[in-house]
This record gives sequence, C-alpha cells and structure tokens, in this order.
Amino acid sequence: MSTFEPNIVGFLCNWCSYAGADLAGVSRIQYPTNMRVIKVMCSGRVEPGMVLELLEAGADGVMVTGCHIGDCHYISGNLHTKRKFALLQRLLAKTGLEPQRIRLEWNSAAEGQRFANLVKEFTEQVRAVGPTPLKAPTPDAAKLLNTRAALAAADGFRLRALVGKEEKLVTEGNVYGDKVAQDEFTEAMDEAVETEFQVHRIHIMLQERPRSVKDMAKQLGLQPKAVLGYVVALRQRGWVDVKEAVEGTPLYAAQ
Amino acid sequence: MKPVLVIGGGIAGIQASLDLADRGTKVHLVERTPSIGGVMAQLDKTFPTMDCSICILAPKMIECYRHPNITIHTQSEVVGLEGSVGDFNVKVLEHPRSVDSAKCTGCGLCSEKCPVKKPSTFQAGLGQRKAIYLAFPQAVPLIATIDREACLWFTKGVCRTCEKVCPSKAVDYEQKENVVELNVSSVIAATGFEQYNPKDIGEYGYGRYKNVLTALEFERLVCASGPTGGVLNRPSDGKVSHNIVFIQCVGSRTQTTGYPYCSSSCCMYATKEAVLIKEHEPSSHVTIFYMDLKTFGKGFQGFVDRAQSHWGVNYIRGRPGEIREDPVTKSLTILYENTEVGKVERVDADMVVLCTAAVPHRDNGKLAAVLGVPLDGYGFFEVGDPVSAPVETGKPGVYVCGSCHGPRDIPESVAEASATAAKAAEDAARAEVGQ
Amino acid sequence: MAPRIGVFICRCGINIAAYVDVPKVVEYAKTLPGVAYAEENMYTCSSDGLNKIKEAIKKHNLDRVVVASCTPRTHEPLFQATCEEAGVNKYLFEMANIRDQCSWVHMREPEKATKKAKDLIRMAVAKAALLEPDDEPEIDVIPSTLVIGGGVSGMRAALSVADQGFDVTIVEKEPALGGKLRGFDSLFPHKQKASEVLEPLIEKVTTHPRIRVLTESRLKSVYGFIGNFDIGVETGKGVETLKVGTIIVAVGAEVLKPRGLYLYGEDPRVVTQSELEQLLHTGSVNAEKIVMIQCSGSRSAERPYCSRICCNEAVKNALNVTEKGKEVYILYRDLQTYGIHYSRLEQEAKRKGIRFLKYQADKPPTITAEPNGLKVSVYSPTVNETVEVTANMLVLSTPLVPVSDAKELSQMLKVPLDSNGFFMEAHVKLRPIDFATDGIFVCGTAHSPKDIGESVAQALGVASRASIPMAKKRVRTAAIMSQVDQTRCSGCGTCIDVCPYNALRKNEKGLAETIAAVCKGCGVCGATCPEKAITMHHFTDEQIQAQGLAALEED
Repeated sequence: MSTFEPNIVGFLCNWCSYAGADLAGVSRIQYPTNMRVIKVMCSGRVEPGMVLELLEAGADGVMVTGCHIGDCHYISGNLHTKRKFALLQRLLAKTGLEPQRIRLEWNSAAEGQRFANLVKEFTEQVRAVGPTPLKAPTPDAAKLLNTRAALAAADGFRLRALVGKEEKLVTEGNVYGDKVAQDEFTEAMDEAVETEFQVHRIHIMLQERPRSVKDMAKQLGLQPKAVLGYVVALRQRGWVDVKEAVEGTPLYAAQ
Repeated sequence: MKPVLVIGGGIAGIQASLDLADRGTKVHLVERTPSIGGVMAQLDKTFPTMDCSICILAPKMIECYRHPNITIHTQSEVVGLEGSVGDFNVKVLEHPRSVDSAKCTGCGLCSEKCPVKKPSTFQAGLGQRKAIYLAFPQAVPLIATIDREACLWFTKGVCRTCEKVCPSKAVDYEQKENVVELNVSSVIAATGFEQYNPKDIGEYGYGRYKNVLTALEFERLVCASGPTGGVLNRPSDGKVSHNIVFIQCVGSRTQTTGYPYCSSSCCMYATKEAVLIKEHEPSSHVTIFYMDLKTFGKGFQGFVDRAQSHWGVNYIRGRPGEIREDPVTKSLTILYENTEVGKVERVDADMVVLCTAAVPHRDNGKLAAVLGVPLDGYGFFEVGDPVSAPVETGKPGVYVCGSCHGPRDIPESVAEASATAAKAAEDAARAEVGQ
Repeated sequence: MAPRIGVFICRCGINIAAYVDVPKVVEYAKTLPGVAYAEENMYTCSSDGLNKIKEAIKKHNLDRVVVASCTPRTHEPLFQATCEEAGVNKYLFEMANIRDQCSWVHMREPEKATKKAKDLIRMAVAKAALLEPDDEPEIDVIPSTLVIGGGVSGMRAALSVADQGFDVTIVEKEPALGGKLRGFDSLFPHKQKASEVLEPLIEKVTTHPRIRVLTESRLKSVYGFIGNFDIGVETGKGVETLKVGTIIVAVGAEVLKPRGLYLYGEDPRVVTQSELEQLLHTGSVNAEKIVMIQCSGSRSAERPYCSRICCNEAVKNALNVTEKGKEVYILYRDLQTYGIHYSRLEQEAKRKGIRFLKYQADKPPTITAEPNGLKVSVYSPTVNETVEVTANMLVLSTPLVPVSDAKELSQMLKVPLDSNGFFMEAHVKLRPIDFATDGIFVCGTAHSPKDIGESVAQALGVASRASIPMAKKRVRTAAIMSQVDQTRCSGCGTCIDVCPYNALRKNEKGLAETIAAVCKGCGVCGATCPEKAITMHHFTDEQIQAQGLAALEED
C-alpha cells in the first residue's frame, strides 16, 4: 500500500521564518520533504487568493509563516497577515474543504527546531485529512466550483477593501469618525463573505451556460428567493443579464 | 587619497578593510596564512544566534576579494614601517606559494594526487591535508599553495607530481619571495589571537589522552564540513560520543600559566558547543565545569538559560583537579571538588573538551617591533587609554582592533574594526586639508 | 523573446552532493522550459564557480540566472553582483535553496531530497522566466549626520564624523552634554577622574566648527530615508527642521532604581551602585562596613539579562572605598569581570582583602534593618554555610535599563527593540552597530549595557558606518518596492493606511503613488489594494503564482 504523500506549499517571510528554516538546515534537524517553500519579503504579502489558487490547483495543504507578533521586520506586516488569514479561513469554510488544509504560524529566525516541528506537524495534519478532493483529473465538481468562487471573492474589491480597512475601522474609525467595534466588524465581514461567495458562485455558473434562478437554487441548495437576490446584485454590477425567457422563465447569463 | 594598510585577514581585518574600501579608500590587506578568514572560518556556529559561521563569513571574504579597492596579500608579513601618520612607508614580504596565482583555478587536482600528508591546520590537526593544498574549501583566494617543508621536491628533490597533473600549468617551484613597498596613510593591526596549548597542564592529559580535545578541535569535529562530517566520533576509537564534559578556564584565570585573565568568550562558546551536541543527539549528556558563568554580552544570559532549561545542559561550578583515562576503553573520569558538599566527586565522559585561554599571537612581538608600538605584559598589543582611545596604540596613525589587544568576541571585534576605519578616515581627512 | 535561463547547481563539496543526486538534477534542469544551459559546480560561490557563471552567460547568451545552492540570505548579493559583472541585471537572478532547506534537512531520504531539489529548481526557473530587470533608485546623500544623545557615545561619534569632514547635529534632551558620565567618579583602569575625560570632550564638541549642539531638545518626527532624512526637533524655541543623510542613535540607558528590593527606597542606608559612585564623587561615604549585592534586579525573570558592567563597577568602587580604610563584601552570583583589564581589577580586589561571597539566585540575601546597621544574611555555596554581616551601607548593583522613551524613538525611527527593550542591531555578529534600516546606526548603551571604552569603540564604529554613504555621495536602494498602476488606482487610500513606513502618498490627482526611496518592499500594500492596482517589484502576483503552480507540477 502506498502511503499518501501530501503536496504542501509554504509561504515563508524572508526575515524570521525563512531564516528559521535555514537554521533548521544549519543544525541538520531532519523533517519531512513534503513542503515546497515560496519566499516572500513579509508574510503580509500573502493574499488569501494566492492560497486559494494553490488549493484550486491541487495543493493538499498550504502553510503561511511569519515573524512572531511584535517581531515583524516591517513593524506591523504580520498583523495584516493575521487579518488576511482570518478572511481566508472564512472563505475556506464556504468551500467544503477541510480547515486543516491551511495553517498560519509564527516562527523566529532562532527557532530552527520549531520550524522543523511545524513542518512535521502540518505534514501529518494534512496527511490525516487525506488527498485534496480537487486534484485533477477527477476533482469534486461542487467543491471545485466553491473554491473558484471563494478565490474570485478573495480577489474581489469588496472583501479586499474590507480586510484592508479593518485596522483603521476598528481602531481609528471611518471618515466620519465612527469607530466600529470588533464584533460589529466581524458580523459585517461574515455577511460580506457569504454574499461575495454566493455571488461569485452564481457568476461562475452563469459563465458556463445560461440558467434559471430555480435551476441554480436547486443545484446550490439555496432558496430561489435568495438566489434571485444575488442575481439582482449581479445585474446591478453589470456582470449578468437576462439572456432569454423560456416558457416565461428568464434565463440569465454572464455578460 | 593614500591607501591604508590592514594587517590580519580575520573578521576584524575584513571589516576594517570593507569599511574603508566602501568609502573609496584603497586598502592593502596583509594576511600571514594562505587564506583570509581567520579563526571565524574554522568555527561551526556562532553564539547566540547559531548562524553557520562560514556561511555568514564567506560572503564577506569574497566581497574583500572582489572589491576593486582592496588588494589582498596572503602568506605575507609586514617587515618594515617608516615615517609617520599620513606618510608611512611599508615593506610587505610575500612568501612564495610556489603556485602562480594568476593561473591556478583552485580545482584541487594537485592535492588529490600529492603523496604527502600533513595535519591540516584548518581542521585543527584532526584532519589531514597534502603538501600542496587549498587552505579550506571556501578559501579566499582559492589558490593552492605548497608547504615547502613537507613537499618531496623541496625536501628530497623528487616527485613533481603536482606540476604534471596541474591542468593550467600553475605550479612554479622557482617562485621567490617578494618585497612590496607601499606608501600608506594609516596602519590597522588586526592580527588576532591564538589558543593556549593545554599540554602543559599535565593533570588534564591533553596530548596523552586521545579523547581530550581543545574547544577549537571540537569545533571542527562537530562541524559538518569537518573531518568526521559532524559526527562526534571520538579520536581513540571512532565511537560516537554521547557523554561529553567541558572544562572552562583551562590555562586562564590562573597565575600558573601566566594568563590570569578571563578569556571572555569561552563560557558562551562552550554553551554553544553543548547545545550543538544536544541538537545532534538530544539524549546526549553534557556537563560544563565553570568558575563563573560569564553571560555579560547581549543575549548571552538568555542563551545560557535556554541551554539549561530547554536542552538540559548540566552546569557544575568548579575547576576539576584531574582527568583519568581508562587504559582499556580510553574513556575518561573527571575528578572535582563539589564545594556545596565539600568532597571530591567524579564524572565519567566519553570525551572531554578543554576551553583554553585566548593568548597573544606568537608573532606579536615581531610585528610590534616593526610597527614601533608597545605590547602589554602578556604580549597583547597595548592600548594606552582603553577608556578614551580604545583602538589607539599611542603611535599616531597606528590602530588596533579585535583580539590582538585582548580577548573579545566577534561583534566587539567587528565594531572595533569599524572604529579603526573611522580613525584612518580621520587621518585621511586631516591630510587632505593639510593639517 | 523567450528567456534564456542558465541554471548552476552547486554540490557544496559534499554538503549537497552527498544527499542530492546532482548530475541527475542537472539533466532535469536542462528539460525545464526556458532553460538554455545547466551545469554543476563543486562550489558555485568560489571564485572559480563565479567565473564559470560569467563565462556561461557570455557563451550561451543567457539573460537570466538561477543558482541552486545554499540560502539567498547569505549568498544572493554575491551571485547578483556576479551576474551584473557579466551584464545580467541583478533582478534577473533567482536562487533555489537546495542545501539549508533540502539536503541538510533530508539527509536520510536522498531520493526524496533529489525530488524536492528538482521541484525547488523548477519553481525558481518558473519565477526566473517572469523576472524583469529593475533599476535601483540612486539617491544623493546629504553630507550631514544627526546624533541623538549627547553622552560620551554621542559626542565621540559626532566628533569623529565631524573630523572625517561632515556636518553633525547633536540633539540632547538634558540641558547639558555628558550623559551618564556626569554621575561617575573615577574611571578604570587608570583611575582618571571622569571629569578629566568629560570636560575636554565637551569643550572639543562645542567648539568644533562642524558640530551643532541642540540641548533641551527632543526628536519630534523623522521622515525620509538614507541620504535624505527630514528631522523635526523640538527645541526651547520651537520646532526646527533638519535635513540629514544619516542618523546615529546614542541615547544611552538608565540605571534601574529597584524600589522595594532589599529595602531600597525604605531605608536610607540602601543605595544603588551609581548612587555610591556619586557619593564617592562628592567624597561623602559615611560607612565603615559596606555590602554590595550583584544582580540586584537583573538575571531575573523580569530582566533576564546580565548588565555587563555592574561587577566591574562594584569591584572598582570597592577598591576605592577600601583605600579609604573601609571593609567591603561583594555578594555575587557569577563574577562578570571579563578580559584582561577587568580580570586584573578582580585580582587586585582579592589581594586587597575585599570579601567575595557567592550566592545562589534561588537563595538571595535577606536584609534586616537594625538600629546599628543592616543585617545581611546569605547562604554561600562555596563555603557551604550562611554568612551574616552587619553593614552600615548596602549597595545594590542594579542593571542598566532602556531609556524611558526608547519605544517612542524606535517607532519614530522605525527601528526595532529587542525583548529587553534595548535597540536591536541588524545582525548580532556581523552587523552589530547597523540597524536593518539603511542609514541608521546605533552605539553605546542604547544597544546593550557596556563600559565607556566599549561605548567609545562603538561610537567610532558608527562614525565610520554613518560616513560611508556620505563619502560615497550617492547610494542605491533596493528595487524591491511597490508601484501603483495609475490607471487602476481608485484613490481609496487603503494602501496608505496599511503601509508601516508612510511610503505611499496621494498625488495631485488624488491617486496613490509610491515614494521609491522610502518603500522597504514588504508587499503589504500590494496584498491589500482592493483594485489590485499595485505591483510588487520582484515579488509580483504572477511570479508568486508561477512559483506556486510549479511547486504542484510533477517532474
């Protein structure tokens, strides 16, 4: 029986975690070979969309590591990583992929052993979850659609703008000086994530072929009324329109 | 602007040279061995960050080599100095390598074929090199050199194998020594230190007991590019050592050897080496005998705390009186007085590492005479006013940095090296405005 | 035009080659898209290896280079410089770390290590194919330095920079120059009076034509970058602006006053070592028997560091008072008298009858205030008994602690502090007096506790470091930075909110733009921009994507 060897991609910041990974090497600390490293200057460079894209392409797991909070080489970059990762977790939850497929950790330049342990742990964590259901040539169609929708949502203006403004909104307030409580913000974020995910799911479906609201509601397991709401939103954005009416039922298509 | 002379190609000399060269000053860097790099090139890791020593040093060595403002003179010594600040006439004696540096590519074929083996200085005597050799793989410049005292051609008039195998015809037995005359504005001495040889301390058996090593020897043993590939094979039988004892202040902090001072870095490098053993094999047992645990540098105390709490390194206060060797197994027993209970106790070990005094380099006297600057009672270069003029010798235009004027660690040496560069730059600026 | 990538795979002696099948990896590399040439080297970083890269660039007309060897953290600059020498822009270079992150950590799995090495090279090649040449912004360096702090470190740094031919401004918050040295009595080893060192130094600094001194002044703001800093200084007369090329942090440290520890602050007979120093200075030490306690407030859970100078200062002061006929006990944990000078001091102290008693951290001395003196009781492991001494004066050797405004300053300068609150250098070993931020340097006790000679050495050191860019007149900064696509920017300002360096601003059209020299290249703005209008040079979305997708391909 061949054991499953997960394909894992790791995003490492240049200053702490990549240096910690080097230290593991210099100290000859052995760890599994599964992770492939992408070096970025700061973990704050990693966008939720980048991770979702790798999951869509068949990665079994993705790890992001940065400097410990307070130790960021760029002062506050990892605080942004933390917020972006929280958004990523929300989106991943929508896709039906297991939450164990992603992980955010802090690792200092002096923590070679810890880095090796992290890779070991994460490899085992992903191994336990099993192979990704998105791997070609036979991906799980529903989860693939969901992942693509999550990816499009992550790359879209609304979620990027929200997560980008989070710090300012909860610490300084908006342009009118209204400060938003963290839980209020979380609530708004949840709502936005749900809307954007559904909107993009429908958009992707309509890019494939024209469909009716009822048809989509059935496939997505949503109330027709809710789907209609998202379609209206899509029409307002100018992304979809009525293609034709078949027996009085309008069919929508992507523009 | 006139050039500056830097004597010594260890980390201090390298830093002083780079600082000056980067600002546009020409530098002549004189090194007595075949390669720059100094002791730092021999270390496995550096405390407390556990950087791979050669990995962080090699780029600086290469930077020196490639810098358009730096001329490196290896296997060379300063034999003459006349004049005064702003206008020193220097004589540099370049010893022959017996290899044409313009032709040698450092391929190493010559040493592969050379039939003569000698203990390798770089491997602290634990490994061997040939009579024609590259100092170490990352040597700068990467040019072979012939040890004429070992070479069969120079000693017996036979062989010449290297000449035959060299693909670029670089071997030159006729090479003569060469004196280079330079005019420089300032002189920086960064000639470093050497390790006390503990063979005179009979009760520790160094030289008689194969498994008693010095810390520098251990540094090569634990290094992945060392003679055992980083496996702690002890010298007597190649058995992997799991039980290792370190003894601090060997030859130092005692009047008997003439080196009564604290060597400043031993507590920390012993801790580093202890952690390395634990990293290699966490079940290993490591004990460090110390007098006072010197944790006075930045990050040192935290490093020792971690060695104790995380790695389980065992620290015992005391200076062992004697080491005994089992004549059959060659394993060792260390006898020491436990002051807390007031009686003699013993610890067994596969291997003992002696952390020896950092002592003045044997060539200091000769160089000090040439430069016309004083040495202190031990033989280190003397700084007249360590408070206000910590890098000045008292002779205007002649500066010292690093461990040639007393034991100090790498960051102190590096900061001081920059300090000497500043003093040399001040001299140059004064010369320019004609003061 | 299709890229022509050269791949150079290092054996690193046996460090890589013993665990990774290098010849096989070379053959594999040759099959990758865009690769025009691949070879292996014994040591790619040797001068021979570097020459081979240059030759191959010429011979095979390579326009991009990948080196698969050790870590870019140590060797990337070297290989980049080699590429430049052969006419390939340094930003067309990429490294694959097949040693530190492959052969060394998979020594027991050579086959898997070989596979991973192939994958890492495939990723590097995929990124290399998309790399673009970049020019590094060149900046004129203003030939002037700001020194923050007018203690002995700041003054010595200023004096040397000025003597090297550059202008200096010292900003000191106190009314007079001198810093901590003002409180000292005598200096080791030659027992000079501190004032004999300090007064001539202040005289030299205040009369130097290139040095300006602003006392009772504080730093208000710091903008800009190496070569071109805009500094706001609040002086008694209002806010003054300075333009400088480099900055030296020499703010020193403070002495801990350990309220509540060993009756300090409760009994007037308990003083700190620096208070004793002042009493010696004024000649009014009225105690016949003195006990000093080392590590009072240091090497503890709260301050887990050794303050380096306290043992030496204690021994020095003990010798001074012993000369006046007094009896001194020093209770210590580990005597930190290091190096030739302080070791000599320790030996002198022992010779002159100063009593050294070791105590253990978990059994600290206990002090009882009695009318006739302070009863000090301490267990000493070296004599294995509890010793009692009744002293007229108890002297606490307390550590140096960071200045109270260290945090504020670090935020203004955008430089880090270490876990103990001292300023943190770029690299503990090889860049001990540089900050990671170009153009800013640190010396003296702002960096960590140290004695005067060591502070002066560092001060002269930073005088060299800070003068290098001024002597060169122009410097280059890395081209890894953000660039805003003006056609896509909506002017929302989110990038400006998230940038830790104020490296983005709105232009006259209300759109964001990067201030190239200020940008440090972290990429947070690029990851944040809602319109995806920001390109991170050398770490573009496309390059990262290509690397990631290449990681998932099968070889």
